[in-house]
Amino acid sequence: MNRPAPGRRLYAALHLLDRQILDADSMMAGKVDDLEFEQPRDGSEPYVATMLSGLGALGPRLGGRLGRWLSGIHRRLRPEPEPGPARIPFGVVKKLNNHVELTLHREELENNELEAWTRDNLIAHIPGAGHAPE
Amino acid sequence: MKKLLGVTLGILTAIGGFLDIGDIVTASVTGARFRMALAWAVVLGVVGIVIYAEMAGRVATLSHRPVFDLVRERVGARLGLANLFASYLITFLTLAAEVAGVALALQLASDVNYLLWIPLVGFLVWIVIWRVKFETMENVFGLFGLALIVMAVALWQLHPDWSSLWHSASRPGVASGEGAPTYFYYGIALFGATMTPYEVFFFSSGAVEERWQRSDLMLNRANVYLGFPLGGLLTLTLMALTAVVFAPMNITVEHLSQAALPTSLALGKVGLALILVGFFAATFSAALETGLSAGYTISQYFGWQWGKLVRPREASRFHVVVLLSLIGAVLLALTAIDPVKLTEYTVVLAAAALPLTYFPILVVANDPDFMGDKVNSRLSNAIASVYLGILIVVSIATIPLMIATKGGA
Repeated sequence: MNRPAPGRRLYAALHLLDRQILDADSMMAGKVDDLEFEQPRDGSEPYVATMLSGLGALGPRLGGRLGRWLSGIHRRLRPEPEPGPARIPFGVVKKLNNHVELTLHREELENNELEAWTRDNLIAHIPGAGHAPE
Repeated sequence: MKKLLGVTLGILTAIGGFLDIGDIVTASVTGARFRMALAWAVVLGVVGIVIYAEMAGRVATLSHRPVFDLVRERVGARLGLANLFASYLITFLTLAAEVAGVALALQLASDVNYLLWIPLVGFLVWIVIWRVKFETMENVFGLFGLALIVMAVALWQLHPDWSSLWHSASRPGVASGEGAPTYFYYGIALFGATMTPYEVFFFSSGAVEERWQRSDLMLNRANVYLGFPLGGLLTLTLMALTAVVFAPMNITVEHLSQAALPTSLALGKVGLALILVGFFAATFSAALETGLSAGYTISQYFGWQWGKLVRPREASRFHVVVLLSLIGAVLLALTAIDPVKLTEYTVVLAAAALPLTYFPILVVANDPDFMGDKVNSRLSNAIASVYLGILIVVSIATIPLMIATKGGA
């Protein structure tokens, strides 16, 4: 068995799951709603390869009627017929502290669809939407 | 000097911002019915909110994470969602009650029926949330809320029998003609109104928005330790006013106008004008706080960008939630549902849900990963744990008491 690398030991369920994601501009960009592990071929310990985020990840995790409803919103907002959950490869993580900080902008993430939809269809039409409060 | 000004302003706004429709209604109803025999419930609630708001502020300052962010992470996605439902429902009902409260204050000042004021109030609340900066908003309404200090002058002017008020407060007991369940039901209502969860949602989100740093921890303490207890004193003053004026005549309080009556009896039109300004500011700022909190809870659970620091188009989901919540609250208030009854039920439901909000705060305030050397001291953990026990007992007892007393009838 490999010895873990020296440094801070992190627990995926504790230090990753359900954490706030921040994009490169420190804008809030969803939660780590689920995780995908990969098993290396050489039989060493599995590692976190991808973070799943957004309603398409949260819905199936919650299950039940409400989970299906959340997944349904996700499906409507995506162009593909059977969209999977929004995936964020672990490689774009810049920093792990109180938040999960990314090197990408949230517009580049697949979990931004509801934000974009509400902005384009509702909020952007209201006067003053483009100004910070005074 | 600027620092001192900030602290003073913070304390003033905490006093002014402490009271809301829940405190106004429960304090006047219980004062008229039980005199000061339930004053202990306010004191108990103030100590509780001081302890937990300080913790929530400290956690938010050091980890830059507001309360509902922590709720989701600590209790998990599923239980967190149940918590979100309960918290949102209570916040929404409180918002409707506050909107009705603002409209009632306007009715008292204008003689125009409150139902006509409701849509305008809803619109004004939305405009302020949409356009006005966080700090300006807090300071303006907090300072106007200080007009409520007129109640203390009124009480002094009424020359009450202080020793009998003190006697009723210091030797609490169930009055003759009242059952113990009713007495404790109203005790819970006062406790719930004082510790309403939206206060910590708002307070911790505000600390994140105003980018409090380590050096602001003093400000956090000063706000909480001075502002909240002074606000609690105002609640007790209102209770004493209705105890002095209504209790001897066995009059029950059923309208907001009755909460203003003792002050106008004592101080005439000036008193009435000031207390109405105070009621308006208190309920309006609480409407802002609950409207924002409705957006905070949902956004923080799902990880959406929230807050007033960014342009609305950059936090569009948050603003959609706030807008829809306000529209819903206006519609609910427009059904002519009795605002006083709505408030009473809401604060009692809030009491039932208290552990859901406060437990995760206590856990995180002890986590050195977030807090570094500023984790809870043993003393504050001891007090907070006792309170958690109280919160759990209260939340179990609330619904049965509500049914047994038919809502305090």
